[in-house]
Amino acid sequence: MTASIVSRAAIALMASTAFTLAAQAEGPISWWYETATPEQQGVITRNIIEPFNASHPGDTLSIDYRGAQLDNQMRVALLSGSGPDIVYTAGPSYVAPMAQAGQLLALDQYAEQFGWNDRILPVFLEMGKYNDQLYALPKTYETLGLFYNATLFEEHGWSVPTTIAELETVADAMLAENIVPFSAGNALWRPTNEHYVTIVFNSIAGPEAVYQALKGEIPWTSEPFVKAIDKLDEWWGKGYFGPNYFSLNGEQQVAQLANGQAGMMPSGTWQFQHINTYFPPANAEAGFVGFPSADDVGEPVFALGVGSTFSIAATSQNPDGAAAAIDFIFSDETYASMNTEWQGEWNTPLKDLSGITLGEGVLPLYAEAMQTLAQSVSEGEYGYTTWTFLPPATVSFLVSGIEEVWLDRTDTVQFLEQLDATFQQELAEGKVPAIPAR
Amino acid sequence: MHRLYLLPTLLINVVIILVPAMLTIALAFFRWDGISMPVFIGLGNFHALWADRVFWTALTNNIIWTLLFLTVPIGIGLLAATLLLVARRGSMFFQVIYFLPMIIATAILARVWQGMIYSPVSGVNGMLQRMGFPTLDPLTQPSTALIGIATVDLWHWWGFLCVIFFAALRQVPQEQVEAARIEGASFWQMMRYVLLPGIRPTITLMMIMTVIWSFLVFDFVYILTQGGPAFSSEVLSTLAYRSAFYDLAVGKAAAVAVIISIFGLIATAFYIREQAREFDQ
Repeated sequence: MTASIVSRAAIALMASTAFTLAAQAEGPISWWYETATPEQQGVITRNIIEPFNASHPGDTLSIDYRGAQLDNQMRVALLSGSGPDIVYTAGPSYVAPMAQAGQLLALDQYAEQFGWNDRILPVFLEMGKYNDQLYALPKTYETLGLFYNATLFEEHGWSVPTTIAELETVADAMLAENIVPFSAGNALWRPTNEHYVTIVFNSIAGPEAVYQALKGEIPWTSEPFVKAIDKLDEWWGKGYFGPNYFSLNGEQQVAQLANGQAGMMPSGTWQFQHINTYFPPANAEAGFVGFPSADDVGEPVFALGVGSTFSIAATSQNPDGAAAAIDFIFSDETYASMNTEWQGEWNTPLKDLSGITLGEGVLPLYAEAMQTLAQSVSEGEYGYTTWTFLPPATVSFLVSGIEEVWLDRTDTVQFLEQLDATFQQELAEGKVPAIPAR
Repeated sequence: MHRLYLLPTLLINVVIILVPAMLTIALAFFRWDGISMPVFIGLGNFHALWADRVFWTALTNNIIWTLLFLTVPIGIGLLAATLLLVARRGSMFFQVIYFLPMIIATAILARVWQGMIYSPVSGVNGMLQRMGFPTLDPLTQPSTALIGIATVDLWHWWGFLCVIFFAALRQVPQEQVEAARIEGASFWQMMRYVLLPGIRPTITLMMIMTVIWSFLVFDFVYILTQGGPAFSSEVLSTLAYRSAFYDLAVGKAAAVAVIISIFGLIATAFYIREQAREFDQ
């Protein structure tokens, strides 16, 4: 215990010393980023790198695209005391262990200096905290909802479902006409499975139950979760997910929905980036609503997800520059320019979007969805995505474990028992990310 | 003095292989998330693996994979190599064709099979389905996923073995082949009594390497199914990868790596014994 206190104090001392020494430095700022296509790299250069460097003559922001292996490279680099100034993690669950190991700089001073506490939705500031200090800001937040083919709905006289019963009625009608109810697939990204678990956890079990389970107050084997997984398994068994779930990738889901082979698509707001590619050529119109909830849950729940976060490395030689770059990304101007060209991936958690005007050509549906989401979050009406709030091993088990339920290799109770056992172990090890109070 | 020639390779082996190997073995006895300080837990990781049904599925899959690759590609490769030897015309052309899949990157091959052959949307499979044939994407069924992946690897692998065996067969003394022909040996008798014994060391080496490579298999499995659906195509290396980089259980991943190495070591021991026996002869 004493050794632990001494080592933490030493880490804190080293971090604060590094902060003081480096705070005056100006110069290069390095930022490692995940996979981006050449077009997407161009969008980042045009809207972030070039304008930042032009407006900050003392600093030079450079970006290095590290691809799908970014997480692993980042961890190794931070362990060896090297790595970039701006630490880009895969989500809040990665922040706590990095902060615990003294690899990140506390950002509270910068939050005060740049007014982040006033401009950023408080729930996201809470998620980036460890031991009451701010270590990370989420780059983008997302939610899950129900996309649907509005043209197909109109042709068949179907109403957009607002309850689980209505959802099932429409889905059964689709099955009767050989239309896949849920356009879904995990061929290139197996964690797609957890989107559906997140949906039933929030819409059937309810966000209150999820919150209690995340805090360790109730086990994941509780009755609401059994009901939720049973319902998901029932939908799978009835064929709502179609015959090709394990063969389709994310874009093929959208294509299938656009051409009317499927009627609905429970998915995330990141799919907005593909709507304009597939719907206009198919002469179809897309719709998006919150996923219906069970009667005892009430209104549709927008489960909050954070795909990646920004921090500053404790060893950074230019933390002031890195903080300025992060602040630039969180400006209204960057929000407008990035979301005009690249929707769904740069939804920075700004409190007030009313003064931001997106460029022409941006899907009005996207702008509406984001405003609804921001409003729900600021009113405290939100749920929890598994990839943001569950610790790593629990998520990893959930992704494969739910396939075992679907394919009858295990049952709901066994699945939830193992999920709970994995979660309780990680909870005891302090690996559960910060859960904002409701 | 001549022993100094060993120094560069020895140095490389120590730095690149021995040190990481020792660190991996040591890590197998620690709980470590790859970020904070490792904690010594003795045999805890091995106990956890013993109780983990996914580990046993992965080990079984590796054994099935090994048996498949010890028989099917070696059989096809031997047969094709012998035919190339018998029918000399066009042998160079066929060697190139057979070898071609080996020079294409694994990731590209896997994506080609996934998207252009197996996919029910964009692949041959989808075309057959639209023509009314009740075909399935093998990667989507727990009972066929491993075979579906192995088919892709077998397609890319057997040609390599064929070329290796053909090169070895050409080294079999021509007098023995001629003598057998004069004695009236049939094709199968020629294979059984002249050609196969003539290339036995090559076949043994390839079989031992097959065992080692089969326990290291990762790329095709990870690209095509990531071990799914429902762990049905999980192998030891994908389990280790998932443990290290998704579960952040680096110690458990190291324990799996140690077990993979044990199988490789057993195969290597066999190889060294065979080599020693040949030298003695």
